[in-house]
Amino acid sequence: MSAFRRFASPLDLRRFKDRLATGLITAGGITVLVAILAIGIFLVGETLPLLRLPETLALAKLSPLLFGTFKAALAALLFAVPVALGAAIYSALFMSPRLRSRIKPTMEMMEAVPGVVIGFIAGLVLAPWVERHLLSTLMVIVWLPVSAALIGVLWYRLGHRLRRRLSLASAGLWLVPWLGLMMALALWLAPSLEQLWFGNDLPLWLERHWGLDYTTRNTLIVGIAMGFAVIPSLYSLADDALADVPAALLEGAQALGASRWQSLWRVALPCAGPGLFAALMIGIGRAVGETMIVLMTSANMALVSANPFEGLRSVAAAIAIELPEAAPGSLTYHVLILAALVLFLFTFIVNTLAELVRQRLRRRYRLLGGK
Amino acid sequence: MKSGYLALAKVYACLGLFAIALLCNAPSLAQPQAGAVSGTLGATGSDSMAGLMLRWSEALTAHYPEVTLQFLAGGSASAPTALMAGTTRLGPMSRRMTPNERDGFTARYGYPPLELRVARDALLIVVHRHNPLQALTRQQADAIFSTTLSCGAPAPIRRWEELMGPSQWPHGRIALHGRNLASGTYGLFEERALCHGRFRPDISEYPGSSAVVAAVGESFAAMGYAGFNHLTPAVHALSLMTDSGDVVPAEERTIQSGDYPLSRYLYLYVNAPPGHPLPAAEAALIRLMLSSEGQEIVRAAGFVPLASDELERQRRLASLEAS
Repeated sequence: MSAFRRFASPLDLRRFKDRLATGLITAGGITVLVAILAIGIFLVGETLPLLRLPETLALAKLSPLLFGTFKAALAALLFAVPVALGAAIYSALFMSPRLRSRIKPTMEMMEAVPGVVIGFIAGLVLAPWVERHLLSTLMVIVWLPVSAALIGVLWYRLGHRLRRRLSLASAGLWLVPWLGLMMALALWLAPSLEQLWFGNDLPLWLERHWGLDYTTRNTLIVGIAMGFAVIPSLYSLADDALADVPAALLEGAQALGASRWQSLWRVALPCAGPGLFAALMIGIGRAVGETMIVLMTSANMALVSANPFEGLRSVAAAIAIELPEAAPGSLTYHVLILAALVLFLFTFIVNTLAELVRQRLRRRYRLLGGK
Repeated sequence: MKSGYLALAKVYACLGLFAIALLCNAPSLAQPQAGAVSGTLGATGSDSMAGLMLRWSEALTAHYPEVTLQFLAGGSASAPTALMAGTTRLGPMSRRMTPNERDGFTARYGYPPLELRVARDALLIVVHRHNPLQALTRQQADAIFSTTLSCGAPAPIRRWEELMGPSQWPHGRIALHGRNLASGTYGLFEERALCHGRFRPDISEYPGSSAVVAAVGESFAAMGYAGFNHLTPAVHALSLMTDSGDVVPAEERTIQSGDYPLSRYLYLYVNAPPGHPLPAAEAALIRLMLSSEGQEIVRAAGFVPLASDELERQRRLASLEAS
């Protein structure tokens, strides 16, 4: 306690604390940087012995893993990008602010669901269900967007009075029962259609007629499960980028006679484009690095095939499964370390790129008179 | 504010005193008591043997309350590394040491490790419990799981129809399930069932045998391989047909005698300098493993006990080393 007596006035003490805090934060930052650098150096050092081996061997082992990683990421993004971007555009530009203030935190809370839980549910519950009801699943995936477009057309034809009751700003609410109804319709129709067209067993029919193999845990399941994991962060970043588009721009566009649709396509999207790109990059980074979901839903087959109903093996999952058992110094061990290095570099670059683009965007908004 | 710092200082002082007290006490805790067998044994190795090691260590503690066994399950490959580094003196392995690993040990210590066979295990080829298939020839097993056909099958088998004729159920492609690349089970199956060939790439791989069995139990068209101790009522194990046409079921008798082709020993490697007696606690553990009680534990853990003549041979080997 006597140590603090040295400070003559409270001001000195505060200055000392400030300096202490700054020092600690700087030290923390430097430690993190050094740690990241050390990870990189360790990985490179452990990979070097591979150079003594014929190069093609490591490549042959690694290429199915890289292929699987990007196949999984692509599947997840195909599922997540339309949903997340659509949701972000709607909630940032059309939704009533009161509703948005509730929906957005809820969506962001989805991010807190651990990957292992999503993987567990998708691998043990969803995958066997989809295998038994493949046509139902595919029909729901195709039918839901179509039915959303359908209700859009219907809404446009509605009378003025009804249209005011079902306002666009609260469409998020009254669409839910409609989509639920359409989903029930698809699920109800699917078994009879399967009987009619596919001999009651779509996987078997696919295999007989098109030679497409079906495994219980496959790319489709990975896409759905990992899509769910990627949607919250994608949505949240895209929504921020769109909501921060300076209001003056949109108002100006509408004052010049642009429709909502025109101001969305011609003003909001190009303006927020870098932010959306950054969101996409973060989504890719997460999808590529995600481990548990892929491990539990992908069947871990080191295949190179474009078939969406076959399994895959991703770099992250391979490291998680094999590394604990690989003998240090063996070929498998070094190949896994090389895979880890590739993964590390990729996510590092993607995340850095996203951050740079976002900084540029923030500067652009400031110039345009936004926040 | 200042009272806050004071409280913090008190907490640190207490922690410091506590740490000092711990340090002073620690040596007296670890000191062996003369007379009784005591001490902490460390073992590192196979994780398929983790359950067995746990049961053995419980029995050991029941006999000698002063002895505890700490087992680190890092896979069979971790045992030679730990033995060589000197972090452990006991290395249970679900496969034999490779000549490389043995040479590394000998180069480090000047004598080879003591190799004891402690139990028998087998790999089973399993199908869904309602699957009518009963037996496979070795060529068929190879044709189903490999791309290389090293065992001499004429063509790969991809569909159930090719295996059982078109009138039999199930139909369609055989969905294959197996273990991950680095596991001992994968290596053993590749060596024995595929005649050193290579696996097909489209086998679903799981990080544990129980997961394989669960996946096969879920699907009618599935086939997989797993360790003997993971057999559940959801699946049934296929018999294997030898070249002479005998059908060998996968059961305790055939695994013990070695007639079932996919069977193997489980090993314990001990860092035992020749001419020196083993420490009392280690000798007690090995005596227990090779006793009839220890072999009963082997059965309870889902593995197969050694045949009596083999057991006798291992006991002689162990006591020779201990004397």
